[in-house]
Amino acid sequence: MKVRQNGRGSNDAPHGCGNGRLSGRFLAKLVPYGEASDGMTVVPARSNEWVRPVTSHEPASAIIEIDRVSQVFQTSARRDHVALSDISLTIEEGAFVSILGPSGCGKSTLLYIVGGFVSPTNGTARMKGQAITGPGPDRGPVFQEFALFPWKTVLGNVMYGPRQQGVRAAEAEAQSRTLIEMVGLKGFENFYPKELSGGMKQRVALARTLAYHPEVLLMDEPFGALDAHTRTRLQNDLLNIWERDRKTVLFVTHSVDEAVFLSDKVVMMSKSPGRIREVIDIDLPRPRRRTELLLDPRYQKYVVDIERMFDDGDEAGPAL
Amino acid sequence: MMPPATLTRRAAPVLACIGLLAVWQVASLALKNDSFPTAIEAIRAIPDILGDKESLINILASLRRMAIGFGVAVLVSIPLGLLMGRSRGVAAFFNPLLMVIYPVPKAALMPIIMLWLGVGDITKTLVIFLGVSLPVIYHSFEGAKAVEEKMLWSGAAMGLSPAQRLLRIVLPAALPEILTGCRTGLVLALITMITSEMIARQSGAGNILFNALDMGQYDTVFAMIIIVGAMGICLDAIFERVRARLVRWSEPQFDMPLSFS
Repeated sequence: MKVRQNGRGSNDAPHGCGNGRLSGRFLAKLVPYGEASDGMTVVPARSNEWVRPVTSHEPASAIIEIDRVSQVFQTSARRDHVALSDISLTIEEGAFVSILGPSGCGKSTLLYIVGGFVSPTNGTARMKGQAITGPGPDRGPVFQEFALFPWKTVLGNVMYGPRQQGVRAAEAEAQSRTLIEMVGLKGFENFYPKELSGGMKQRVALARTLAYHPEVLLMDEPFGALDAHTRTRLQNDLLNIWERDRKTVLFVTHSVDEAVFLSDKVVMMSKSPGRIREVIDIDLPRPRRRTELLLDPRYQKYVVDIERMFDDGDEAGPAL
Repeated sequence: MMPPATLTRRAAPVLACIGLLAVWQVASLALKNDSFPTAIEAIRAIPDILGDKESLINILASLRRMAIGFGVAVLVSIPLGLLMGRSRGVAAFFNPLLMVIYPVPKAALMPIIMLWLGVGDITKTLVIFLGVSLPVIYHSFEGAKAVEEKMLWSGAAMGLSPAQRLLRIVLPAALPEILTGCRTGLVLALITMITSEMIARQSGAGNILFNALDMGQYDTVFAMIIIVGAMGICLDAIFERVRARLVRWSEPQFDMPLSFS
């Protein structure tokens, strides 16, 4: 499976042309191209009522299972703050799933639990049936803060993961150069992060994570620190890149537009305590073009419906 | 041809030196005091000191102690500071100890150390070591503490073990701060070097200085001050060059970040 995005076959297509179809043949284990949005189901999860039978075997294509996860933090006033309450969610392989919610609803914490950076207070998260106990190269994070290594050049940052995995220097460099080109930074290989704008830094961060071939991308409000224009460009480019190999993506955002535009599924969360409120299938054709989508009444309806649901929730107090 | 601004910047320290020497010369001529030789007399005494084999051996012995004290201090303090910065337990253990040692003038410990270890190299090197350690530990600690959590997470996701993260993420990320501490440490090494030789007078640059004072050779006293001062300036300048090269990545190459999304 690792071959599928090492940049050789799938990246020959010029960047930005959205030519994802070519890479379909690499996706043996993934859902057949074109049927993607039908084939992927995020098991919803009204957290309270859904209890997973212990004996049940998950469908073969479930890649991440979050099973009754709760997270309690102790605040500085020594009071318990329930960041996540009894969250259950299953994510299918190859799905683009957004977690959408107001700030403070614990959506990032949920992502950190899947990443293995934070241990849940209760419950377990599993990756391919294995309980997650720590970070690993099968789950690649992309953070809002970029978190690049400032002492490394763009190339050095992107090569870091492959080198760590024992890929020979020449090979790692060749792959990294292809990835840098794919994220639109050809010519900036020898620049240091300090010399780059926010959008460029996030492109490097994405390339750095893609370079070690994680099976799941964990994106933590990756475009949250960028201006509107840059944000739109990066959303488009991310979709184009994603179309090539349809990697599983868990994407945290507080932007309704962004979630609807990018995702197959939108997981709506409510805050205090953080719970899953609604899981919405976004049944829009792919590959998606922003300009077409903005005019599409179905897209508009998704956005309006979700915004309404949030408004209702706010009026009615804590949802669920 | 250098641009005027660069020229001014380069010339400034030289001009400062010339100005200082000129003030000295005038003051000395005006005071006409035996214990205050003129700048020219002091400078004339420098070649005599540097040409004398005995003096040279003394000065080199000083530099050797300083290099060893500084080197060992850096090698011990950086790992300790980094560990303290990343581990609450290590910090909790060492912090009280360091807080007690920190304000104590290291030279004040010399009598005890001399009592135990004699007046030789070990005593002096140990005092230099103590003087250098604390700023290096402190800056390494602060540098390690400030390392962005998400950077470490990114490394962990790539498969770096905790030890590898300390060595390959915390160390380089904290390097600018660590080197700031080392620069302070270098100057402190010179100070404690001279101080230790003034207390345990057996050899070294500080010993030459005080012997000359005892014998009323005031031009030699002032010449030694110039020599020691010049050593400090040179070492600091060399270190600053090395530092700037090592952390070039932390200084922006351009004033403004490139505009490109």
